[in-house]
Amino acid sequence: MQMIDFEFRNDLIKEDFSLNYCYQCGTCSSTCPVALITIGEYNPRKIIEQSLLGLKDLLLKDQNPNVWLCCTCQMCVEECPQNVFLTEIFEKIKNMIISSGEPYPEAFKIQAKSVVENGVAIPLTPPILRRRDQLGLPKVESASIDEIKKLLDATEFEKKIKILEDDK
Amino acid sequence: MTYNFFLGCVIPGRLPFLETSARKTFEKIGMKVGDQAKCSCCPDPTGVAQMDHETFLALGARNLCLYEESNNDILSLCSGCTESLKTVKHILDNDNHMKKEINLKLKAIGKSYKGSSDVKHFAEVLYENIEKIKQMVKIPLKDLKIAGHPGCHYLRPSEIINWDDPLNPKTLDVLIEAIGADPIDYEMKNECCGNPLEKSDKDISLSMLESKLKSMKESGADCIACVCPACYQQFDFNQREINKIHNTDYNFPVFYITELIALALGLDKEKLGLNFHRIKVNQVLEKSMKV
Repeated sequence: MQMIDFEFRNDLIKEDFSLNYCYQCGTCSSTCPVALITIGEYNPRKIIEQSLLGLKDLLLKDQNPNVWLCCTCQMCVEECPQNVFLTEIFEKIKNMIISSGEPYPEAFKIQAKSVVENGVAIPLTPPILRRRDQLGLPKVESASIDEIKKLLDATEFEKKIKILEDDK
Repeated sequence: MTYNFFLGCVIPGRLPFLETSARKTFEKIGMKVGDQAKCSCCPDPTGVAQMDHETFLALGARNLCLYEESNNDILSLCSGCTESLKTVKHILDNDNHMKKEINLKLKAIGKSYKGSSDVKHFAEVLYENIEKIKQMVKIPLKDLKIAGHPGCHYLRPSEIINWDDPLNPKTLDVLIEAIGADPIDYEMKNECCGNPLEKSDKDISLSMLESKLKSMKESGADCIACVCPACYQQFDFNQREINKIHNTDYNFPVFYITELIALALGLDKEKLGLNFHRIKVNQVLEKSMKV
């Protein structure tokens, strides 16, 4: 049985008050390219409905519908007659999934790890550096790893990721 | 204010030839654009942003600070970076409380966000120079039917990106027209290429791509033009995979709009790194440029 969690609902509304404006017309789902491809299995309207109802476990644990399938194209945000910032609300839900230690796609962890270790999502490899030379491109100045690490420590980013690894 | 490049991660680390065409194009139209500051990942609006909002703001704000320090505006070569940096700027410029919070984090590295630098997508700046580009065209790309793919973060959320029509975009097609080519209309023009979902569901990502390619084919396109390296990758790297899965024969050459402009302005074709494209571009170009 799904339990209603008012605190979860209030947290989301506090993060983005536009959630309150939704009257469930379904314009978002009719404009969503992922809903189209998955024939409605991914359903942004339903995620908003469950958010308004405070169905925390369904969204964070069961991930049904799977909020990671939002492609962040923002079509729903443009089309919404009530100006609900759906993509931002989904971002918040994804943030909550991670901070509560629930599973999420591996590729995100790989990107986060690269940003922590290299400052960038795609580090410059020797073949690419050679290709850059070949193309006559200048050297890419990169961020000091030490500086990035200090900043990520300040936001406790790594800690959020590590908690997850410890939970495994 | 002058511009300095923001290259992002994908272009320098995977598709450096796109950077070549951008640098050459801006140089050719007489715009001096400075090199990138010591930036980190923008961070990725489809990646780190989805993991932790505070980290997204802090990393983005640090990047913005670097350009403030040198008194330059940002000219971004990637739609994702543009959206991230514009979003961070929008949030911090409009939310004093959040600005204070993030500046507390930035204190750890001796920086402070002010909000004095602007962020522009490279195509936005090219569009501002459209009359100049038109006058400078040496080899019009005649009879080339181009399916422009504006992509998502180039346009939306319009409240933040704030320039082209988010649901009926025109700017990319106007640029295509300016170099003498023929921008074609196709049903799925405004849809996402599917690239962001590569991280969470590759099958859906490829199905989204397939529906775009199908619609481009039905409209008789010769090739694809895009303005974002993530979209570029999706189109250039994955057509063969689509053909295997769907038993199709898609073979659209994929161009960055700066490559097409560089060609039309008469820049040396051999120096653009077009040979690094996965789907070969020569046949289509020969048809149009008679070279």
